[in-house]
Amino acid sequence: MKYILIVLSLFFSLHAVSQESFSIRGTLKDKQNGETLFGASVYLRGTTNGVVTNEYGFFSLTAAKGTYTLVVSYVGYEEITQDITLDSDKVLDLEIEELSTQLDAVVVTAEEPERISIKKPQMSVSKLNGSTIKQMPAVLGEIDVIKSIQMLPGVTNNGEGSAGFNVRGGAADQNLVLLDEAIIYNTSHFFGFFSVFNTDAIKDIKLYKGDIPAKFGGRVSSVLDVRQKDGNSKNLSLTGGIGLISSRLAAEGPMFKDKGSFLIAGRTSYAHLIMKGIEDLKEDKISFYDLNLKTNYEINKNNRVYLSGYFGRDVFDLSKIIKNNYGNASGNLRWNHVFNDRLFSNLSFIYSKYDYQIILNFIELDWIADIKNYNLKYDFGYYVNDKLKLDFGVSGISYNLNPGEVKPTSPTSPINYLKLDQKRAFEGGIYLSAEQSLTDKLSLQYGLRYSTFSRLGGQSMVNYQNNQPVVYNNELGIYEEGESIGETYYKKSEAIKTFDNFEPRFGLSYQLNTSSSIKASYTRASQYLHLLSNTSSVTPLDVWTPSGQYIKPQLSNQYAVGYFKNFKNSVYSLEVETYYKTIDNRIDYVDGSDLIGNNTIETEILNGEARAYGLEILLRKNKGNFTGWLAYTLSKSEQRTLGGSAGGPGINNGNWYNTPYDRTHDISITGIYKLSDKWSFSSNLVFQTGRPVTFPNTQYEYEGLSIAGYSNRNEDRLPAYHRLDLSATYTPKANVDRKWRGEWVFGIYNAYNRRNAASLTFGQNKVTGQNEATRLSIFGIIPSITYNFKF
Amino acid sequence: MKTYINIIIFLFTLIFVSCEDVIDVKVSEGKERLVIEASLDWEKGTSGNEQTIKLSKSSPYFDNNTNNNVTGASVTVTDNDTSTTYIFNDENDGTYTISNFIPVIDHSYTLEVIYDGETYTGKETMMSVTDINRITQSVEGGFDDELLEVNVYYSDPADEDNFYLMRYMEEGDLFPVLEDMSDEFVNGNEIHDFWEKEDDEDINEKPFEAGDNIAISLYGISQRYYNYMRLLIEQYDSGGDPFSSNAAQIKGNCINTTNEAHYPFGYFRVTQVVKATYTFQ
Repeated sequence: MKYILIVLSLFFSLHAVSQESFSIRGTLKDKQNGETLFGASVYLRGTTNGVVTNEYGFFSLTAAKGTYTLVVSYVGYEEITQDITLDSDKVLDLEIEELSTQLDAVVVTAEEPERISIKKPQMSVSKLNGSTIKQMPAVLGEIDVIKSIQMLPGVTNNGEGSAGFNVRGGAADQNLVLLDEAIIYNTSHFFGFFSVFNTDAIKDIKLYKGDIPAKFGGRVSSVLDVRQKDGNSKNLSLTGGIGLISSRLAAEGPMFKDKGSFLIAGRTSYAHLIMKGIEDLKEDKISFYDLNLKTNYEINKNNRVYLSGYFGRDVFDLSKIIKNNYGNASGNLRWNHVFNDRLFSNLSFIYSKYDYQIILNFIELDWIADIKNYNLKYDFGYYVNDKLKLDFGVSGISYNLNPGEVKPTSPTSPINYLKLDQKRAFEGGIYLSAEQSLTDKLSLQYGLRYSTFSRLGGQSMVNYQNNQPVVYNNELGIYEEGESIGETYYKKSEAIKTFDNFEPRFGLSYQLNTSSSIKASYTRASQYLHLLSNTSSVTPLDVWTPSGQYIKPQLSNQYAVGYFKNFKNSVYSLEVETYYKTIDNRIDYVDGSDLIGNNTIETEILNGEARAYGLEILLRKNKGNFTGWLAYTLSKSEQRTLGGSAGGPGINNGNWYNTPYDRTHDISITGIYKLSDKWSFSSNLVFQTGRPVTFPNTQYEYEGLSIAGYSNRNEDRLPAYHRLDLSATYTPKANVDRKWRGEWVFGIYNAYNRRNAASLTFGQNKVTGQNEATRLSIFGIIPSITYNFKF
Repeated sequence: MKTYINIIIFLFTLIFVSCEDVIDVKVSEGKERLVIEASLDWEKGTSGNEQTIKLSKSSPYFDNNTNNNVTGASVTVTDNDTSTTYIFNDENDGTYTISNFIPVIDHSYTLEVIYDGETYTGKETMMSVTDINRITQSVEGGFDDELLEVNVYYSDPADEDNFYLMRYMEEGDLFPVLEDMSDEFVNGNEIHDFWEKEDDEDINEKPFEAGDNIAISLYGISQRYYNYMRLLIEQYDSGGDPFSSNAAQIKGNCINTTNEAHYPFGYFRVTQVVKATYTFQ
């Protein structure tokens, strides 16, 4: 803390010496709808003075007294220039106009291939904004940002129908997913088929695969920063779409006499409506919905408040057997305050919750579990001078986890009431980071995050013989539960265990010439919450658990080096990155672990380590009627779990084994061709090495059944995954007199009907008694049609 | 519990799934191991004198030849509380039998198998089992409310952790159905278990109908054997599906004392069992 203050005061004194310079600050907005724009470049032509707008569209530039041409550029928007004479501090609110005529499209781009991004130290970022996911082919026509980012290098998932995504060989729970700063604990609907983000409500999406800015903490692999639209502040508008699985409708418009705006967006599936009409299914229900809300109010030029909310739910109800529902809820109240021309601040109070319920009628059991947190954070952006920008802030998150509560559903149920220990924890963070241009060519970004985590009392903890929750049984060669030697009760005011970590973040860019640069970065991050899942795919029913006495926080170190080049007048861009990542204290589960309803999870896990490395290449064509990209990733992701204090060799005999996210090769090609004002076409081609799995290698008879013996963990692979998707977008000529604009999107997913194996199940044929391998393929060729409109 | 969650996800996937098919997969060939199926089951109300132990060898996963009987081994079981040793007789067909075994609840037993110059041992304690209270049939219960199922009720003792193995088999069926059960969520209550057959040609299954005969066995088992069977049943039913636990080699309670690496498959269990038959009305 003391060091932070010293560093801070150093910067302030730096600022004091730069006299005779003035600042320009303001907010950048979209001309049509008044949405603030995040990540646009604002710079003075012919100088090195330039900044990128922040999450709220805010920018502040400093330059010596003089006359300049101010340039604002943003992908998908018309570039604007404005001559200004800088003889005093200026406030300038700017608006730029979108180029595309498409409806709210969202395009997957990497960091914009612009002057500033070549120069900026920030690397390992994928960004989605502006125009076109709506044009990309999607399964059943359901536009899905999480599926779209998987078309970029370094991002995969565990196959169709599996929840979450994996970044650079990391697990799904190692991604910090934020929706308007609120943590989203489960990103999928329908057990993983679709994502929870309704594209009509989303303004932009940024994925940090590495080089994570110091303001983010709490997860070791990546940050997916999703921001909702503020709502159209110019006029009332309706956006929507009708698809095969779900329909969307969003209303937005100005409020408070143009001092604010609102957005309400809803999305719902409607399979359950069709099911109602089917005699056998009419009591069953399978559905999901999302509701996104946002409103903001500008109190004055320097103060603005935002309120945003999200509520989503899945319902899966087979009336006679199972009822299951789960979902996220979040809310965020924010206050933007501009202290002065150089100091921007945002205070947020955030709530998020994820919960699920299962009712198993046939055994008369009702199960609920949830995790919720309150988060207070205060972030500052200080534009010291044209060479230096500082970001600093603090945050505190209070967690409350209810890992499970079991109730009988009827008086005659055999089930006993059971509540697993409620868990509480507090996570604090403080950070300072600087972005500094040292010379014309060399820029740095460096920062330090200090995080602390306390597992709080209010519960008893089991103590184990020799402090070993897991013990290796030498004789049998298996891991077993340690022997309990009593419990210790911790008071609510007491911390059971406290951790703290310094997390340095460092990045640099060296500009080779105006169109190319090399960048390097180092990120250290810690993660205090872990998702318990001993299956290869995470499910909505997995529970989170905090670090504590027996579970250590995960710590990652990631090193990355990259080469970035724009060529042919920025029509093409090339990004090559290579990374090496290590993760300490990655938990893994002993063979045969049972995590459900388990109050002493520590008896099932061992602390291991993981490492991942790879090469990512992204070649893009950014302009013209044909745009698109080729992404290639060559990578390795492994983990190792030694016996440690439990003794014994560890999992898989203590040898390194592939994580389920290891993909040696991953190639994605996306192309979008605009034929005319009416028609555009796009396609995806994906090829991936198969997912690592464990195959049986022997059989034996036991209890009259053929039982499989298995080879080493994740030593085998599913067959390679590949598919081609096609889509066409037809935009009828808009009637000049009418505001209504519509477009049809026709898609074919998996065009050549590849039977990709989602899994291979090994078992005994019940007729012949022979062992066989059964391939489960989820999506064959699937045509779809979606109608999108704007009014 | 885990099983039920698998069911949910499985049902869910079915809705979306376009297809399942059997394909050829190359698998590696694991080490050949001795398989010890030493199940000393004492049926309540009988003397339990007659017992059989089966020895066989494992074979490559897709191998069709399942005749891997092991003959010529020496098989003994010792009652550690009385130091009585029972010598099993080699029947030369992979089974080893005895007709004067004396089972005693809570006694600890040690199995010793000597085969091919290597010694295998295992140790287990005889567990008692509660009685079956009643067996009924119904249509409304179970997963499908139009198909017949059999219901088995038994009372779990409240003052201890209990583990059960349930074995169902219909007359004429090729394979038994095994279920593992712990009293974790139902301690001290009357436990209800049911078995319902689906109408599914692919797995050679037809719903129950009047006149069908089934055999029901309820075993009282040790926690370690419960852990073993839970894993074995899960892997048997859903080996490799992404929502089941990572598949792994299952190790029983028998070890090779000559060469640790040559550990055997199978288990040495000593249980009490209640058996019943039921004919659907």
